[in-house]
Amino acid sequence: MKIPRFSRKMLCIPYAVFLIFFVILPMLVILFYAFTDKNMHVSFSNFIRFFSDPTKLSTIVYSLVIALITTVACLIIAYPVAYILARSKLKKKFVIVMLFVLPMWINFVLRVNALREIFNLIAISPAMEWLTSANYFKTIVGMVYDFLPFMILPLYTTMLKIDGSLYEASADLGGSAFTTFTRVTIPLSMPGILSGITMVFLPSMTNYVVSDMLGNAKVTIIGKFIYEYFGTDWHMGSMVALVLLAVVFLSTWLSGGFQSEENVRGANL
Amino acid sequence: MKRVTSLLLAGAFLLPTLATLSGCGGSGDEIVLKVYNWEEYIDEGGEGSFLYDEFMGENGQEEEGELLGADFLDWYKETTGTPLTITEEGPSVIDDFEKWYEKTYGEKVTVEYSTFGTNEDMYNEIVLGNEYDLLCPSDYMIMKLAAEGRLEKYDEAFFDETDENNYYVRNVSPYIAGKFATNAGLATLDNLWKDYAAGYMWGTTGFVYNPETVSEEQLESLDWRVFIEESAPFTNKITAKDNVRDTYFAAIGVTFEEELTALYQKFLAKELTAEEYTKELTKYFNDTSDEAIEKVEPTLMKIKENIYSFETDTGKADLVNGNINLNYAWSGDAVYAMDLAEEENDCYFNYFVPLSGSNLWFDGWVMPKGVSERGTKQAAQAFVNFLSMPYNAMRNSYFIGYTSVISGEKNEMLDYADYLYGYYPEDEFEEGEEYPEPVEYDLSYFFLGENYGEDVEHITIPADPEQASSRQLYAQFPPESVIARCAVMDYYGEEASVRINELWSRVKAETLDAWAIIVICVTVVGIALFTVFVKFGNKIDLRRKPKKGYKFVSREDPTRI
Repeated sequence: MKIPRFSRKMLCIPYAVFLIFFVILPMLVILFYAFTDKNMHVSFSNFIRFFSDPTKLSTIVYSLVIALITTVACLIIAYPVAYILARSKLKKKFVIVMLFVLPMWINFVLRVNALREIFNLIAISPAMEWLTSANYFKTIVGMVYDFLPFMILPLYTTMLKIDGSLYEASADLGGSAFTTFTRVTIPLSMPGILSGITMVFLPSMTNYVVSDMLGNAKVTIIGKFIYEYFGTDWHMGSMVALVLLAVVFLSTWLSGGFQSEENVRGANL
Repeated sequence: MKRVTSLLLAGAFLLPTLATLSGCGGSGDEIVLKVYNWEEYIDEGGEGSFLYDEFMGENGQEEEGELLGADFLDWYKETTGTPLTITEEGPSVIDDFEKWYEKTYGEKVTVEYSTFGTNEDMYNEIVLGNEYDLLCPSDYMIMKLAAEGRLEKYDEAFFDETDENNYYVRNVSPYIAGKFATNAGLATLDNLWKDYAAGYMWGTTGFVYNPETVSEEQLESLDWRVFIEESAPFTNKITAKDNVRDTYFAAIGVTFEEELTALYQKFLAKELTAEEYTKELTKYFNDTSDEAIEKVEPTLMKIKENIYSFETDTGKADLVNGNINLNYAWSGDAVYAMDLAEEENDCYFNYFVPLSGSNLWFDGWVMPKGVSERGTKQAAQAFVNFLSMPYNAMRNSYFIGYTSVISGEKNEMLDYADYLYGYYPEDEFEEGEEYPEPVEYDLSYFFLGENYGEDVEHITIPADPEQASSRQLYAQFPPESVIARCAVMDYYGEEASVRINELWSRVKAETLDAWAIIVICVTVVGIALFTVFVKFGNKIDLRRKPKKGYKFVSREDPTRI
């Protein structure tokens, strides 16, 4: 009997095992549950029920809108910060970057809870009383607060890599500051933008802890639906999860997330 | 060949590990009892436990307790075989059970204790095939599990009062035993509850409220309608539960308040017996017919508009912080919120149970199928018996803050109620000081059963009038007048549950109009197509196919002329 020689390919075995048990098998199980009924017979009833139910479609739409606003807000806040940080000659740049990243290391439930208390405190003043019932607003603020570091970091790392001489070249060729920004900075930081968007957009469609705590459980996003269905009806829950997967897949594909060029994914954390 | 040998070797190494992991207690004479309970639903000792508070003084000195004394220490030594030592971590009721079991039955038992957060989580675990020997679900979940044939019945010997180790049957309150023997719900089960379940904790649901902002008169006149009252101090200052069953129950209360009140009036006028009244009430609160759902849905929408939040455990803190004025709560949570407010904020909350009817709930111990085969049934039943010893019932009740189903063979739990809530003004006030006169708080129904009659001496404790009418005592040991107007929630059945869950998702989520969905979908598809076109548009060649032997020059070809 031939003893198999150690080859470099064998290093992949642990990951392959992980892949099979924690990625491929669960996916198949979800697929199986989504297209079966209570008696485990193949059925499209969940599929039909999902797409004929305005509540579920509305929830998808609402989640998309919430995620979209969160992402845009994160981008607007994060882009200038990352730009300034990356181009500044500060010696302690690292410290400032750390300040943005540090909150990520503190338990997330704790941070959301603290934010909830801050909102309560602000809402005490009569002028800010509207805040108590502004559940969507609070949810979005919470999500922006929570996902901001995920936007700053990839932007910062890509911008750091932009060669400074390119800015000089642009100026030499008569480009104004604005032209330099639109023709040099933005195109070259595109990989960071895309990676930031994927990292903020997707979790903000499903992170129902934020919407429960800050939206007083009156804001329902698609993640909460999945959670609730898994308490009562696994088949429908799997179908909702599958639809979400499709939405995520589509949006990633459209935003160019699957392009194989090195620099596109390079900025991913 | 080498490979086969190494595989065998590996297998040989793994086997013992697997055997320990499965831990079914098949090996040797040690039994492993897997108990699956709610979080923080048993006394695990240490600070905050009854024994710690009773025997440890302010500065950690051991001292005699107010209620527990030498009798208890003797009992403890007798039961567990070891003298009582109180530490930061113990003694836990679970460890004491292990000692007691070995001493009584001569077998070693190890309790594997784990916890769950909701009935549904527990149900999923069971359905997935996880093996447990003893579970503690709520009333409707017990019925669901029993209806699906997932439970094993208690042995007849468990109910034998002559066996001195059958503590449950000898100590359980006759009132609770009566409920379990007659199926307090709609009797959807062929068998009786008591065949499958032994009680653990019980209580009501109602409103904890801040009497400074909400008056009892307002509550009495609005009753369930506080949920939809669009004026201060109710609107946006009240919470509902973030689960369909409790909120559906409340919405029924709001929707059918007139009918329910009429029913209550009939009961008060003695036109209905207590039994008939409970039956009617139970029917109303468990109505999941299409007509009922249709009527309740708009109410639920109104409730959602009017409340501050749906919550499961933030309500207590919100009430203490003043974010809300009313919190719809289980009685045990209500007691906890009231205690917390008194201790930390020096403010007082009250508890109110709607007049037109409310919810009476139980949590009970059940054994899933398979305990007999695993040989753990005796230990499981013994565990229930151990928890039913009056002293242990006190320990658990004190730790959890809920009300135990145990009354005690010699009404031991009366001493406990008296210890917590007994009111003796002559000891508390100096002479000449003014104080409220104590009232006799009647708990006869709990200690003597429903048919205690008029000629029997009533069982009462002297109580502070406020405690008796609206505070912790009222919440933790509800008077008979309150439980008379409470109904148990049933298991709705498979088909009705689906409809109720759909209703809940409609309530929780915002539903857009059909045209809005269509517009948005069309926009999204449009954007998608546009992006695809921008990305791949240059690859689409609309020119006619060239003749054979010719080819078009690619648009991107740099050599193109």
